[in-house]
Amino acid sequence: MNRKKRLVMLCLGIIFTLTLLVAGCGSPKETSNNSGETETKTETKTINIGWSGPLSGGAALYGQDTVLGVKMAIDEINGQGGITVNDQKYSFNLITLDDQYMPNLAANNARRLKLENQAPVIFVPHSGGIFALQEFNQTDNFLLAAFSSDPKITERGNNLTLRIPPPYDMFSEPFSKMAMDKFGKKLALLPSTTAYSKDWAVRIDAAWKKLGGNVVTNIPFDYNKETDFTTYVSKALAAKPDVIFVGGTAQPSAMVIKQARQLGFKGGFITTETGNLTRMETLISAQDLTGVVSILPFAKYDDPGISTYVDKFKSKNSKVPVWENVWNYESMWLIAKGMEKAQNVDDPSKIFEGMKQSLPLNGDNFPVELKGIDSKGGLMADSSAVMYDNGKYNNSVKIPYNTK
Amino acid sequence: MDLFIQQLVNGLTLGSIYVLVALGLTLIYGIMEVPNFAHGNMYMVGAYVTFFMMTVYDVNYWLAALIAAVVLALLGILLERMVFHPLRNAPSVNKFIAALGTMLFMEALARVFWGSEYRQIPAVYDNVINLWGIIVTEQRLIVIASTILLIIALNWFLKRTIIGSSIEAMAQSREGASLVGINVNMVAILTFVVASSLAGAAAALAGPIFLVYPSMGSLIIMKAFVIIVIGGMGSIPGAVLGGYILGITESMGATYISTDYKDLVAFLLLVLILSVKPTGLFAKGAKQW
Repeated sequence: MNRKKRLVMLCLGIIFTLTLLVAGCGSPKETSNNSGETETKTETKTINIGWSGPLSGGAALYGQDTVLGVKMAIDEINGQGGITVNDQKYSFNLITLDDQYMPNLAANNARRLKLENQAPVIFVPHSGGIFALQEFNQTDNFLLAAFSSDPKITERGNNLTLRIPPPYDMFSEPFSKMAMDKFGKKLALLPSTTAYSKDWAVRIDAAWKKLGGNVVTNIPFDYNKETDFTTYVSKALAAKPDVIFVGGTAQPSAMVIKQARQLGFKGGFITTETGNLTRMETLISAQDLTGVVSILPFAKYDDPGISTYVDKFKSKNSKVPVWENVWNYESMWLIAKGMEKAQNVDDPSKIFEGMKQSLPLNGDNFPVELKGIDSKGGLMADSSAVMYDNGKYNNSVKIPYNTK
Repeated sequence: MDLFIQQLVNGLTLGSIYVLVALGLTLIYGIMEVPNFAHGNMYMVGAYVTFFMMTVYDVNYWLAALIAAVVLALLGILLERMVFHPLRNAPSVNKFIAALGTMLFMEALARVFWGSEYRQIPAVYDNVINLWGIIVTEQRLIVIASTILLIIALNWFLKRTIIGSSIEAMAQSREGASLVGINVNMVAILTFVVASSLAGAAAALAGPIFLVYPSMGSLIIMKAFVIIVIGGMGSIPGAVLGGYILGITESMGATYISTDYKDLVAFLLLVLILSVKPTGLFAKGAKQW
């Protein structure tokens, strides 16, 4: 009996251990590109720009995309001789630390970036990390460049937070309208179990009902930890929806869309902005993807300034730029402009003020027009919704910047 | 009713993959008496091999599956020789730690080599078959049918061939087996070969339906581990039955109870079975740890 008990206890212990392992695989990794390349010959000083985000784990690709944008801007600024503040020349140096998408690690990284590297600005590309940093960025005195569309970021009254991309509550109504007009009034929600995706679903749910539709089912599941999605897709289709909200990142979302099509679904889909259409296009057929509503991919804008940026980015990184690249690129340029305007490189509130005064900006280094920074710290820029149609993106609808 | 049968088929597909991975895990447990946690990552490597064979080398699907099984068999030998053979006389806990370490090492290595992004094996058998309102893709039918064939083949191998019987003999008693002249070393290698190629086959079968990414192994190994606990550590019929039970429970639990509680249903089942039969469904006398 005793032996049996031990066996059971051991088994449960192992399951517990494995759960922990699955939850937090990988070990902390630090990548830094300040490998002693300090300028010596001229009197150019260096300003460190901090970045904490996922460089390993499932979101590594996303993290790298955001870094690419900041890095490209820094290379260009330094290439032009840096910035001049109070007759002193400065160049930028980017220091990236891996936080594996975890808020606690992001907080540790931010403290290090501030204490060891005196970074006046720290980029963080995920809402969990951003909320963690908002707890102390005003006392530790650094500007938080928050790359996340979560509307709650600007609702917390933090004076040193710049929210970079347009907030997603801007999208819920235009997306809903587009899908409802074409396919019908019954919506099934398939959000992921992340806070971001669930909150998206809540806002889509409200917008859908406001437009007179009804939500027939809500099935949250973990897009990143499930092996097979058909169970959920079958369950959603049993409620006979006209439109399905898919809440995961591009690859798992594409799988869900494909499986729904295979199970005979003829209606439309709404995705979050992480459900990147250009990436999904490489994974499933244009026919399956037709009827998916999302934001218009950056590279698909019909605009000469954007085409120039796309070509420039392609020749440097041999891939097509996505929103993650361009938003972070423009923000870094804006920070540089703000420092020049404020004639200050270490006081974050003065830099932030300088940034506000530099706007609006459009043209050369700002392929997407930045209209201003609103009173809560949100960067103001328009966006566009589109319904994918057999490889074409030509029915896009402009969404003017607004906050609810 | 349609939904019920549809979800039964979905559960069977998922269960089939669980069965193939759990079979390998239970086989190795039989001779090593420690769960080989790295086994899930063998499955992951199998999926990557199939993926690269089909996309980079443009190999036919079935050939790619075969190559995956062979590569995995070789990797199995390497794993046995490099990690577990040197520890054959060490206490269980050392093997246990070695298995966990190998698991983490393989996953980290996969991230370094292949990156963290999701990949997808191009689907060859993607046509949809409509059987009286139940919709299945050809690939899913292939998964279900191939699993049954592999189970039959494995059973034949273990019961009807000398090599197979020696694996069973060694699982029953290591000392006894070597007393009657069985080469314990050879049998250990063979077990790893069989178990790993099963993982390779599972990955090649599941690949076109699921996504391929470095942590796919640690997700499935947890399920496989639950399965062999349910079925009885080291038991072959236990792994088969346990795999199908878990697959179908997950699918039904998600449909009729709640998707939020899907895993809860599966683990509740584990607790229930363990409280009624603490050694698992098909225990052949609990092994001492």
